[in-house]
Amino acid sequence: MKEQINSDKKRSPGLFSLLRPYAGMVTLLILFALFSNGLNLWLPRLIGHGIDAYNSGNFSYQIMIKEFLGVAVIIFIFSYLQGIVQTFASERVARDLRMRIAVKISGQSFAFIEKANPSKLLTNLTSDVDSIKLFVSQAIVSIVSSLFIIIGASVLLLTINWKLGLTTIAIIPIIGGAFYTVLKKVKVLFKKSREVIDWLNKVINESILGSALIRVINSQQLEYDKFFAASNQAKDIGVSILRLFAWLIPIIVFTANMAGLTILALGGHYVINGSMTIGDFAAFNSYLALLIFPILVIGFMSNVIAQATASFARISQVLDTEDQPETGKLDTAVSGEIEIKNIQISYGQKAILKDISFKVEPGEKIAVIGPTAAGKTQLLYLLTGLIPATSGSVLYDGKPIDAYDAEAFHSQVGFVFQDSIMFNMSIRENIAFSDTVTDESLGKAIATAELKDFVDALPAGLDTQVSERGLSLSGGQKQRIMLARALAVNPKVLLLDDFTARVDNQTEQKILENIGLNYPGLTLISVTQKIASVENYAKIILLMQGEMLAAGTHEELMGSCPEYVQIFNSQQSTSQYEL
Amino acid sequence: MNYNLNNQPAGERKSSTWTGLKSLLKLVEQERKKLILALAAILLNSSLNLLGPFLIGHTIDKYIQTKQYHGVLVFSGILLTMYLVAFITSYFQTSLMGGIGQRIIFELRNAIFNKIQQLPVAFFNENKAGDLISRVNNDTDKLNQFFSQALMQFISSIMMMIGAGIFLLIINVKLGLATLVPGLFILIFTRAISPWVKHKNALNLKSTGGMSAEIQESLNNFKVIIAFNRRDYFRKRFDTVNQENYRTAIGSGLANSVFLPVFGLFSSIAQLTVLSFGIYLITQGNFSVGLLVSYLSYATNFYNPLRQLASLWTSFQVALAGWDRISQILSLSSNLVTLSAETGQEQTDAVLEFRNVHFGYTGGYEILHNISFTMKPGKTYALVGPTGGGKTTTASIMARLYDPQQGTVLLKGRDIRSYTPEERAEKIGFILQEPFLFTGTVKENILYSNERFHKYSSEEFIGVLKAARLEGLLTTFDKGLDTDILSGGDSLSIGQKQLIAFMRAVLRQPELLILDEATANIDTITEQLLGQILDNLPKETTLVIIAHRLNTIENADEIFFINSGEVSPAGSFKEAVDKLMSGKRTS
Repeated sequence: MKEQINSDKKRSPGLFSLLRPYAGMVTLLILFALFSNGLNLWLPRLIGHGIDAYNSGNFSYQIMIKEFLGVAVIIFIFSYLQGIVQTFASERVARDLRMRIAVKISGQSFAFIEKANPSKLLTNLTSDVDSIKLFVSQAIVSIVSSLFIIIGASVLLLTINWKLGLTTIAIIPIIGGAFYTVLKKVKVLFKKSREVIDWLNKVINESILGSALIRVINSQQLEYDKFFAASNQAKDIGVSILRLFAWLIPIIVFTANMAGLTILALGGHYVINGSMTIGDFAAFNSYLALLIFPILVIGFMSNVIAQATASFARISQVLDTEDQPETGKLDTAVSGEIEIKNIQISYGQKAILKDISFKVEPGEKIAVIGPTAAGKTQLLYLLTGLIPATSGSVLYDGKPIDAYDAEAFHSQVGFVFQDSIMFNMSIRENIAFSDTVTDESLGKAIATAELKDFVDALPAGLDTQVSERGLSLSGGQKQRIMLARALAVNPKVLLLDDFTARVDNQTEQKILENIGLNYPGLTLISVTQKIASVENYAKIILLMQGEMLAAGTHEELMGSCPEYVQIFNSQQSTSQYEL
Repeated sequence: MNYNLNNQPAGERKSSTWTGLKSLLKLVEQERKKLILALAAILLNSSLNLLGPFLIGHTIDKYIQTKQYHGVLVFSGILLTMYLVAFITSYFQTSLMGGIGQRIIFELRNAIFNKIQQLPVAFFNENKAGDLISRVNNDTDKLNQFFSQALMQFISSIMMMIGAGIFLLIINVKLGLATLVPGLFILIFTRAISPWVKHKNALNLKSTGGMSAEIQESLNNFKVIIAFNRRDYFRKRFDTVNQENYRTAIGSGLANSVFLPVFGLFSSIAQLTVLSFGIYLITQGNFSVGLLVSYLSYATNFYNPLRQLASLWTSFQVALAGWDRISQILSLSSNLVTLSAETGQEQTDAVLEFRNVHFGYTGGYEILHNISFTMKPGKTYALVGPTGGGKTTTASIMARLYDPQQGTVLLKGRDIRSYTPEERAEKIGFILQEPFLFTGTVKENILYSNERFHKYSSEEFIGVLKAARLEGLLTTFDKGLDTDILSGGDSLSIGQKQLIAFMRAVLRQPELLILDEATANIDTITEQLLGQILDNLPKETTLVIIAHRLNTIENADEIFFINSGEVSPAGSFKEAVDKLMSGKRTS
């Protein structure tokens, strides 16, 4: 047994090492399985003995029933225990593995999640773990007990009559060969079918997430056609796999039948010439029946192992990613002074931000404006440490951002994202998302974000559940909840990403007033489209295609930057109403 | 209609193994011919397999015991022929039955997807995406496993059992009955505990769906988790659902592992019965040793498939639990029925009219109270008002994503409900607040479901874009029309997504185009460009614009002020602004 594990270990390091913490359980599992299977082997022998005893005239009902029943009950107990241990072992492995993956993911950077792709991580956490679970619950026990039965049955066959035994055992390599050939072909198809399933899932996911759009333009048929193509291919691959297996099973049955025939012809011969008893002959038939099933099991289980190995390789990719470098230890309060020096961010060939430098004094208000895809959001992501710079440095109070302790840092920098991100929990939990939030700062944040009337009007107040993706709230309500979430940590620095886009002007004005009143000394960096609301800011930075085109006060830019003037003019006609 | 799948009324939810099976069997109807062939192959194959031990027993009694080796060889020859035939029938049984399974699951998968496509937006709002995805993927997979692997074994096991049972009774009625008694116990036992096992599996599937929903949400919101340094939040939430899943999995695992030991015990008892009762019969002179040997084989042939059925029964219960969850979806129907087109055509020049419309989302309060207004062709309307006032809801009703609870919406003088979805989608364009992109390229997304331009070559298509003045919008995409869009459009900024959604809607040339904060994240210069594009639309196109940015709406012909579920005409732009700036607002 030990050898088997070792030889497998060379091929697929990891899959078996996964079991190490559960060694006790797995050993228990194997022991129970061996017991119940070993005793199962004993039953035909008892039958043979019974018949022989009857033939030789010293048969006793009492002894036979006692022995037989005793063995049957013990088998029952052990196989039941095996079932219980099997369930606990496999579910524990699965639970712990899922947790390990989740913990690993939770320590990763934003860039990692984007790159690894959330839906792939979902597959890692669900179906990949499931195939490992199947390996633990079925493959280990099945293979060990099958090997045990094959070896045991073979030994017994050989001791009864070695010539006949050898001819019977000859079926093992034949069946093994058939399996090997078929599985080799099936493996290719399995890989293909996995790809088709990914494709199917993608179509399903998009049709669910994009359901509103699909209904607006009535493209259900188009979606169905997309799905049908994938579904049809899945069916075709399924049928091809089936064809291969459809050959496999008859070959095995036929080989086994041939062995039975040999026993009849050859064994019959031995019985006739007296070199074998009729009871042994009967036992031979029983052992043959016993022998075939484990061979089948090993064949099918080798497939389970192959799939589990592939799944574990995918999971290992996640587990083996480097942990994020330890964040710094600095937990001093930041003053709000931020400096960006020669920042460059590139994704592959494409430069997102090119050589950006500027400085923000404590308590200053800075605006970043610029067209779509100018790199404004990336600049904010950089300032919160969500993404790293390719080169250059981000300094808070003269110290690089990664010198700060993550918790200390994030509790001083609030970020309002452009896209509404709501969690399926109560409004209170959505706002007091960080656990450093006190009731007082929660109340202040709600009042500042002009949410008080809205929350008070709800029958369950702050305890109202927000449905998934925030579908029960309007765009502006979500935006304000996100603002309150950022303010609730009592930040020294507040980063707003196009916050005003979905909030009406009146509310926006009130909120900005509230912020000035309730959070004095707050450093504010606001990405926006509206010049009017930021005209009096200390500095306005104009970004275009990743370049810092100009920076200065509104007046300076009006005098020096034609692009800025153009943007200003595009908003001119109505600006009188916006102040 | 209540679309919340996890909160369906309990009344009709109780379904036994049998009713579940019956509705599953309905899926098989068009496969009847193939099914009969497959059953014939299974029947022939099982009989041949059963005949084997009988012939062997006969050979032992007639020839081996009497030491006639010639007879042994003759019967070996007969057996060989039989095995060769069985080889062929066995191939057909697997390929036919498996083929049926594959096609059933194919039909089923398509049926669910088709059903989901028919359901209205409300269905998606009331269920978590992760849970729905889990139902369509995970639960059909459970059925798939059953159909592709277990069904064939299931049927052939039952055939083997019936055949073996008949043989047992034919050879010796008394012994046969005695052998079958333990089987009866198994039957009673199985019937008794199956509902419990199925229930346990259903709980497990439910928690699997919940876990998948949780992972989906956390991973998609990961940037908030990082920015607020709540990595522990992800771990804690995951730990909760993971533990819950573990708990239910243990529950279903323990329930599932009950069958095998019990089946094993009873089959051992059956063997013992054959042996002791058989020997008793031999002492009475009513039986022979040869017959006993083949009888033992038959008993094995009866109880081995039964043991196999134990594990199959488990996968059957899992499949049924999955089937229940799927049929919950299949039993839903759209609440947006198309009325007959004859329902009164009124003479009117209005494109759209709301007549005393009341609306509230399922399980919520009324959001729109008694709203009435009309919109004329070729005009531009702006909907303004504080957040949460009901603007998006009003727009959604215009595009018939929902039907009002009271009142009617008239599209060109006819009840909007009397238009087919095709007609409606052709007439009404709606750019949603949250732009959605499909995996593919920018071009594929712009042309999504656009039959007019679908077959155009790239050059021809660029011509179309030029004519519609849309070409200039492509400059923000680094590879133009061929820029790749990864899942969910994560690689693009929201502004870019809005541009694609804008182009997509404009190229469809609807008569009524609704823009719900469609340009909110686009810079003002590009927005001016969008304004020119809208001006360039055919004269009779009606525009409905929802926006907070005032210059977006300053050219509107008429402005509606929407607040606390009421719509009032705001008059001129200036009046509207005054109302917005000073008016009483509730949100």
